[in-house]
Amino acid sequence: MQDRIICLGNRLKQEDRAGLQVYDRLFKRKLPQQIELIEGGISGLNLLCFLENVATVVFVDAISGFTHPDGVVVLTRHQIETASQCLHYGHDAGVAYLLAMMPRVCTPPLPRDIFLVGLEGQCSEKTIEHAADIAQDMVQTGKYGALPKHLHYQTGKIY
Amino acid sequence: MSQIIKGLNIPVNRVEGDLEVRVDVVDHRIDNAWSAGTMFRGFESMMVGRGPLDGLVITPRICGICSLTHLSAAVTALDSITGITPPDNAIRLRNIALIAETIQSDMRQAILMYMADFTNAQAYRHHPLFKEAVDRYQMLKGTSVLEVIRKTKRLIEVIAIIGGQWPHTSFMVPGGVTSIPDTAKLMQCRLIIEQFKEWFESRVLGCTMERWQAVSSFKDLENWLGESPCHRNSEVGFFLRFAWKAGLDTFGRGTDNYISFGNFPFPRHTGVVPLNQINDKDEPGKRQNLVLTAPGFATGITPRPLDPTKITEDVSAAWFEQEKTTLHPFDGITRPYASGSSGEKYSWVKAPRYNSVPAETGPLAEMIMDKVPLFHDMIQQKGASALIRQLARMVRPASLLPAMGTWLNELMTHRDAPFYTSVKSIPDGEGAGMVQAPRGALGHWVKIKNRKISHYQIITPTAWNGSPRDKNKHPGPWEKALKGVALKNLENPVEAGHVIRSFDPCMVCAVHTLKKDGTPHKKFHTGWTF
Repeated sequence: MQDRIICLGNRLKQEDRAGLQVYDRLFKRKLPQQIELIEGGISGLNLLCFLENVATVVFVDAISGFTHPDGVVVLTRHQIETASQCLHYGHDAGVAYLLAMMPRVCTPPLPRDIFLVGLEGQCSEKTIEHAADIAQDMVQTGKYGALPKHLHYQTGKIY
Repeated sequence: MSQIIKGLNIPVNRVEGDLEVRVDVVDHRIDNAWSAGTMFRGFESMMVGRGPLDGLVITPRICGICSLTHLSAAVTALDSITGITPPDNAIRLRNIALIAETIQSDMRQAILMYMADFTNAQAYRHHPLFKEAVDRYQMLKGTSVLEVIRKTKRLIEVIAIIGGQWPHTSFMVPGGVTSIPDTAKLMQCRLIIEQFKEWFESRVLGCTMERWQAVSSFKDLENWLGESPCHRNSEVGFFLRFAWKAGLDTFGRGTDNYISFGNFPFPRHTGVVPLNQINDKDEPGKRQNLVLTAPGFATGITPRPLDPTKITEDVSAAWFEQEKTTLHPFDGITRPYASGSSGEKYSWVKAPRYNSVPAETGPLAEMIMDKVPLFHDMIQQKGASALIRQLARMVRPASLLPAMGTWLNELMTHRDAPFYTSVKSIPDGEGAGMVQAPRGALGHWVKIKNRKISHYQIITPTAWNGSPRDKNKHPGPWEKALKGVALKNLENPVEAGHVIRSFDPCMVCAVHTLKKDGTPHKKFHTGWTF
């Protein structure tokens, strides 16, 4: 089963483009065959189909209010879902809404692991590159069970 | 003594992008309204100096919901500049994908956005259908909510199959399309469309599309509703029962001017008949330049031919500067100018006008141009309203699905015919891509000079509907539609929401960043900071 890195955001808005800047970095790399890289953009609910028949999903997106500007945070599925109460249809709901709908409307098998690599605000080139490394590492090491202990995630668990 | 409230902000959540609506209220009735786009878009400025084909990649990324329609407008403008008519199969493929996008938008808007307001307990807990509305439309749980997401998720697979890439496909190119689906894929599309049609008939309409099309007057509609439990309990039936009881047919009239650019051009050989010819046997049946949904401008229910030269953008109340207050989009520029003249200028959305007057666009405008008897009769009897506007959107798929099926069958029959006419390069020149997006009239006006884009102007449907005032102080369509709306509870102005949402606002620059609730910029202790 494949793993997916889904990069989100709006290229045409500075504060919302970091996820797609990471996409551009990853696109230039030779990723292992089992990793599918998706430019999710602002497709919202239309991304539900990418949450089916997949082992691990790593979203990459701009975030707001989680850490210092130019910082990167990794969140588990549970942390994404509980971070925002904005769980209605509309672009402002984003990943949290998508994940809330997933078990209700998607056809199993659903992803075993879901993470978000979040980039706070407008980010430097160095941070974009770093986030790309993290996203790739999370999928690759997760796949082969070689994840460092502090990165052993369990879906839904709060760390 | 009158109670006067100046500058009340109407919270309009679940809108795509940045919209602010401010109203003056006198004795719980809206006396005046101002609609403001709160963010400079400036997409047009990004296009200048780029290669002619860049619009095909950049403009679909303006909007996550109707990206294909932007692609369609961009490629239509380039088709026009090259002077090449794409082959029949390319036109069929483009149309099928666009219809899929339109229908998924209609269904999601109706169930996930519009009817979600029927679960507003503060406003409707005493409504006799409130409990059922909650069962159907409650966020994340409602039976209709889950069903519509499942069904539309499947429908958009048609776009992925046709486009060969999902999301952000750019399969439409000047001269045709880049993908040629094999017979198995076309069969798969047919299965998906058939299954969607079955669901639409059984759950949304509660009857066959043919039975629905026979509803040709307000009286017919009342009879249809009483005819069968299937009709009453369908989404359309429930919407009508709830909305009538809530009085949604009594407010939200608008400007009474309507505009549609028309959409879904015909291949040279097709069995599909234009909708206005189905509804009006006297409509001339010439076979040139036919489209499924008719372009036009109407005052009331009298459509007239659309004259694109009468379209202008007015910046009197918008934070832009240009040499003249009003200019045709081939001449207009997008130069932000925050003047500070607060009150006079209040929006980052220009005011599109047709022959100097504001005009409403969207499914209701299409019903008028296509001479759909039910909507002509409803408007003649009571005028436009939030209810009629929303009903037009809910039932629009009944007009589009049959054409979708026919074009798909024609593709399977003529699959060996061309899908692309070679276009070596885009010559210098100018062209317009005027199409009907899910939310209404969308236009891209493009000029190519020295093989680069020298000019790009976009007018979106929400610019028409949510436009600010113009030099004549005419309010935009939903500014006008809000005037006179009674607000029972100023803390919960759900009636204003019904009006604005009936236009299906989309500010086409959506933000979806995950925002942590609460105080910003505090370290998220349960995450990892790198």
